[in-house]
Amino acid sequence: MVKGLLCVALLLFTVNAHAQAWPAKDWPQGAQLAGPAVKALEDYAFPARNDITHAGIRTDALLVIRDGEVIYEHYAAPTTATTPHLTWSISKSLMATVLGVAYGENRFKLSDPAARFYPPMKQHPNITLAHLLNWTSGLDWQEDYEYAPLKSSVVAMLYTRGRADMAQFAADTTPFAAPDQAFRYSSGDSNLLSAALKGMLGHKAYVDYPWTALFTPLGIRSAAWESDANETFVASSYAYMTARDLARIGLLMARDGRWGERQLLPKDWVAFNRQPVAQYQAGQDSAVPGGHWWLNREAQGTPRPWPDAPDDTFAALGHWGQALYVLPEAKLVIVRYGDDRDGSYRHNELLKRVLAAVQP
Amino acid sequence: MIRRRPFISLFLLLLLALLGWVWHERVNLQAFPDIIAAYTAKEYCSCRYVAGNPADYCLGYVKQYVPTSAFADHPDSRLVTASGLGRTHSAQWLGERQGCRLLP
Repeated sequence: MVKGLLCVALLLFTVNAHAQAWPAKDWPQGAQLAGPAVKALEDYAFPARNDITHAGIRTDALLVIRDGEVIYEHYAAPTTATTPHLTWSISKSLMATVLGVAYGENRFKLSDPAARFYPPMKQHPNITLAHLLNWTSGLDWQEDYEYAPLKSSVVAMLYTRGRADMAQFAADTTPFAAPDQAFRYSSGDSNLLSAALKGMLGHKAYVDYPWTALFTPLGIRSAAWESDANETFVASSYAYMTARDLARIGLLMARDGRWGERQLLPKDWVAFNRQPVAQYQAGQDSAVPGGHWWLNREAQGTPRPWPDAPDDTFAALGHWGQALYVLPEAKLVIVRYGDDRDGSYRHNELLKRVLAAVQP
Repeated sequence: MIRRRPFISLFLLLLLALLGWVWHERVNLQAFPDIIAAYTAKEYCSCRYVAGNPADYCLGYVKQYVPTSAFADHPDSRLVTASGLGRTHSAQWLGERQGCRLLP
């Protein structure tokens, strides 16, 4: 009888252990992708590279995780498995994830005005944290990078007038609409969130918080996050980590905010991240915005941005081709780092070829 | 005046519009020349000392159409200085987690 119970317990344990793989210090390796579909994927992602002209698709890293195991991994020099690669605007979704932990600790509500945690926002008393996360603050931000450097708010914030205190620079932006009325993608909104987090925690706890709240529990050891002269994290642009470490964030999101036994992000937080922004007009951006993440959803009758990927796909996306794709139903997490300078890279094409390669 | 001197009138009108635009964009125009030096110093510093890429790769990585000069990377102190359009800026590596930051 005891022996029988033990057998059942052992069986249950084994079933459980087999049900879900999690990375420890390293990622578990699954059966590696092979065959002509992998060749087609590599032909697209890793064509011959020209570091003088910087033309075409220039993938630095491609990592595919299925159900918690590495099934494909490839790098282009000088990027390797240990390179903490610049994530650019993936940093925005990382800040949202850090905020999710703070949300689970009841440090704020989505309906809280940003001014409650960041006094310079008193000039915009009706802008809430939800508005900033949905990019519906109504602040008149100009997001262009290279093509309109004179007018670009991002360039001014990162390199010239705003660089000493990026959140203050964003708070000083005049509105073009009342909060909650219109969507406009804004790096300023992300840095206001970063400053609001600092207000919730106090300076001392804040400078370690991304590590204590998120990176260390997930086993992320390669992360760097640059800050401005005011020691506010540049949440819009400047987080760095290896592809393997970024995939840990993807797995956390794919599993609805749970890491092992711990519900690190409340489920309603992840649901908010994945809820389309109602004010978004079709064609305003290359994907449909959610709560500081990007969604593969139809908007006003227009097709999904990545028609060859399932509609539950969501992503964190950054300048020059950085991407973290999460496909919860397909149990896939894909990290793609790049250095694309001409915009020829297509998310849908990569996703299509990865999906073809993982078919049994 | 306009009928007697159409060309000079048009010129004056355009000059006035230009001056108006310069006044309107004075803050942006004053900051504009700083972009290339600040961008080059900051992104080279991060490419080299945060991502750990080789120096020659990072030089190609930060190259833009606007020329830069007086580029200096001090590996011992991890301080990077670049000049362009008459302005000079420096970025300093601060630590493993903190990465690089532009100096004031």
